[in-house]
Amino acid sequence: MCCSAMHQLTGLLATNFGSPSGVTTQDHYTRELWRLSGYFSVPIGLIVLGLITFAIVRYRHRPGEDRKPAQFQYHIPIEATYTIIPLVIVAVIFGFMYNAENHVDKVSAKPAVAITVDGFQWGWRFVYPNGHVQIGTADYNNINNNNDLPVLVLPSNETVQLHVVSLDVVHTFYVKEFLFNRDLIPGINNTFDINVTKPGLYPGQCNNICGEYHAYMRFLVDVMTPTQYAAWYANQPACSITTAGVPGIQKGSCAAINAGADFTGYTQAPKG
Amino acid sequence: MTILEERPQFAFEAHEASLMEIVPGPRPHGIVKFVTSTDHKQIGLNYLFTGLAGFLVAGLMALVMRTQLIVPNNHFVTENVYNEMFTIHGTLMLFVFAGPFAFAGFGNYLVPLMIGAPDMAFPRFNNLSYWLYLGGFSLLLAGFLTNNGAAQFGWFGYAPLTEAIHSPGPGADLWIVGIGLTGFSGIFTAVNIITTVFTLRAPGMVMFRMPIFVWNILVTMFLILLAFPVLTAAMALLWIDRHLGGNFYNANKGGQPILWQNLFWFFGHPEVYIIALPYFGVATEILATMSRKPVFGYKGMIAATLSIGALAMGVWAHHMYTTGAVLLPFFAAMSLLIAVPTGIKFFNWIGTMWRGTIVLNTAMLFCLGFLAMFLFGGITGVILAQPVLDFQLHNTYFVVAHFHYVLIGAVMAGFGGLYYWLPKMTGRKLSEKWGKLGFALLFIGFNLTFFPQHDLGLRGMPRRIETYNAGMGWNFLNELSSIGAYITAIGVLVNAWNIFTSWRHGEIAGDNPWDGQTLEWACSSPPPDHNFEALPPIRSERPVWDANHPDMLTKVGH
Amino acid sequence: MKVESRTVLGAFTFLTVLAIVYWVLVALHGSSTERSGITMLVFSFSAYALLGTYLLAQYLRRHGIPRPEDRFDATQEDGAGVIDYFPATSIWPVGMGLGMVFGACALVWGLWYLAIGAVLFFGAVFGWVTESDYTEDVLPGSDPDELAASHGDFASSSAHGDH
Repeated sequence: MCCSAMHQLTGLLATNFGSPSGVTTQDHYTRELWRLSGYFSVPIGLIVLGLITFAIVRYRHRPGEDRKPAQFQYHIPIEATYTIIPLVIVAVIFGFMYNAENHVDKVSAKPAVAITVDGFQWGWRFVYPNGHVQIGTADYNNINNNNDLPVLVLPSNETVQLHVVSLDVVHTFYVKEFLFNRDLIPGINNTFDINVTKPGLYPGQCNNICGEYHAYMRFLVDVMTPTQYAAWYANQPACSITTAGVPGIQKGSCAAINAGADFTGYTQAPKG
Repeated sequence: MTILEERPQFAFEAHEASLMEIVPGPRPHGIVKFVTSTDHKQIGLNYLFTGLAGFLVAGLMALVMRTQLIVPNNHFVTENVYNEMFTIHGTLMLFVFAGPFAFAGFGNYLVPLMIGAPDMAFPRFNNLSYWLYLGGFSLLLAGFLTNNGAAQFGWFGYAPLTEAIHSPGPGADLWIVGIGLTGFSGIFTAVNIITTVFTLRAPGMVMFRMPIFVWNILVTMFLILLAFPVLTAAMALLWIDRHLGGNFYNANKGGQPILWQNLFWFFGHPEVYIIALPYFGVATEILATMSRKPVFGYKGMIAATLSIGALAMGVWAHHMYTTGAVLLPFFAAMSLLIAVPTGIKFFNWIGTMWRGTIVLNTAMLFCLGFLAMFLFGGITGVILAQPVLDFQLHNTYFVVAHFHYVLIGAVMAGFGGLYYWLPKMTGRKLSEKWGKLGFALLFIGFNLTFFPQHDLGLRGMPRRIETYNAGMGWNFLNELSSIGAYITAIGVLVNAWNIFTSWRHGEIAGDNPWDGQTLEWACSSPPPDHNFEALPPIRSERPVWDANHPDMLTKVGH
Repeated sequence: MKVESRTVLGAFTFLTVLAIVYWVLVALHGSSTERSGITMLVFSFSAYALLGTYLLAQYLRRHGIPRPEDRFDATQEDGAGVIDYFPATSIWPVGMGLGMVFGACALVWGLWYLAIGAVLFFGAVFGWVTESDYTEDVLPGSDPDELAASHGDFASSSAHGDH
């Protein structure tokens, strides 16, 4: 019920209040909730600012004026009103939010594709079901270098399950167009589903301070159509590495990395 | 020397209080007074100006950060220096400036005055609190002098980045003990102020006649009593991990890094209200005085403060929505609920101004700046309280903009407090001309700095990145934000200059320059040792107003 | 003391309810790492229980006789008399503070700082606790027990608890 009401509302007032549209099925709920918040907060903000402005202009002290200000202090009906109305608004927002959250956080038992996303200082490792592994770090010397970024390849219009794991400190998987963040915390198992509807190339980035080259912990999400994805998937080697950022990682060390999953030797390489 | 303080027994004669030493004998001056004085007013001033020093240092760090971010792919500072900058900027602003400036600075100076007490309940303890605070401040800065530099993991230092293998060197340890010392200082101040408020009020000053400022400080102190020990415990565990081979936050050995987040935010969210509530009180006092009216909905205001204080204990995990390991609906409901008492406060403030005679001086302008900025920060707060929207905006510049609007709103009120109470503290008014210029620069500067950051967040810029790619669409907004930071800096300098010159050359304020309402305006400016030689009868929450305006008495309600 | 104790006990009640609700919800839906939050809430309401009970006891032992600061109609004369000790200056807090800062340095740079810190700290503690002794000579009658005894009025003499 609440969703149809939400649709009607958004039909009436189709503005995003500055938020990007997003490209997944889940972010539809995020966007709608953002709009709903906008419908409440913009008028409330304007009303409060308007009241303050009115009071300043209307009741300001003018030079030479000798006016006795009214010394009233309580007005129970008004006070009750501005207690109850916000309570109702908050309850409504909570209701919509609860509904949206259930959709956004839903984890499918049978996803079409399940990929493990490992974060480490300061790069990413993507492990596909067939054993294909991509490891990569960006160029620590030049943030404008978009070559050699680690690439996460996903099929569009399918439920993709990402299992995010941290290999050292806390990182956050964040892709702006997905309107979604999820932390990679040692000791915590995090899994979430996304279903990207629009093929394309989307930049992503670690979104939690993780040390010196936090800013360089970037990656790309390459969303292909399911047929393109199937073709790509079938032709992958067991392991591929982009090494722009970490001189220590060599092509030949791929297997070693996978076997030991010990990144310490590879990730602390100095800038050079 | 020990003084036995007697209650003032004279009838109140408005504006006729003369300065009289209660106990004869020499009083120390200068550095000796600074070091040994147990007078709450001296200690309050120590806190206020040490806090302002912290604000200047941390503000300088902000300028370094904004300069680094003004263009993409910039190399003004290295990654490590940038990380030091935002870590110590946040730590100083929260633990040295924003919190202690209000609850310890204004709190120390004003609470005894406002309740008609001669001093704090434990004056020597009060002095000790200040040294711990100054010691903590110094140790936080000392990190820059060490080989590996100061701490580099952000002011909430998420484990395991703070562990010895990821952050070696004494910088992180200094961060731990520096925060620990300011934490102890806060706890001692809390004990002191709670005891003062509960046992040293003047006759007739019942709890429901205390100024809103005192109520807000009181609730703040209760939050400190619960929050700071948890922080100290978290720091102790971290220290054990770093030095004694503990594994509390080491997932490889059975520890739980997320334990740090729970402990830290169990302190960290009450901390937000520990910072904000005193400034709410400052704003309330200024608004009432400058509108020539009693606080509208006085009891509702107290109820709102108490509700904020209570709810603040149940919202810590709203900083952890994206961890996937917290109960989202519970924390969302609690966080959204806090909007209700905050809204009540807003409408009470408007009600206080309503049909008053509003004097638009600098203190009041800062107060209105607080209302505007805090309103905006509050609204984005309601947005971020919703887990689904937080999934989108978590740790982006939208969050940075949100909490800077909240905190700078508070700081605006703090500056208003300086313009309002420095005449009481120094005996001289600050220059209105410079003050209004300073306000305009700060207001424009702050908004120009932080408003574009909302959009940056929506455009996906993560916080705490040292540099960014030129093709992300973030360039222009970052430029705007940096220019705003420079304007802010000029505004801060103008205000500092104003305080500096007016201290010695300002217009003589007199005892009650603003037609104030609460007891601090009943003593001379600056107040004598042990404050009062005469008190007006306390029959409402604004005894001085009642004494000065017999034709406009506050209605007495029990 | 009525309002004071009620305020703290009210906060205690709220936190207790909060802890129970959170506990139940975590048991039903939450993650195991949230037990830390339950623990902290339990300690929080326990702390308030301690303080609230103390304030309530303070209120009850007055047998309903309010202190002057709790009476709506009290005048300054009602509160006349000695309030408390208020030392004007003292050198000991800064010594104690320095001792604690050195103690903190010991946690960073090594134990030898602790030696300096301990000397400063305990020296200052000694100075602090003996400070009010030698001022008795300066101001006769500053012994609090004596004062309480000489001041028959219950409401003002024990208004500030026991010394």
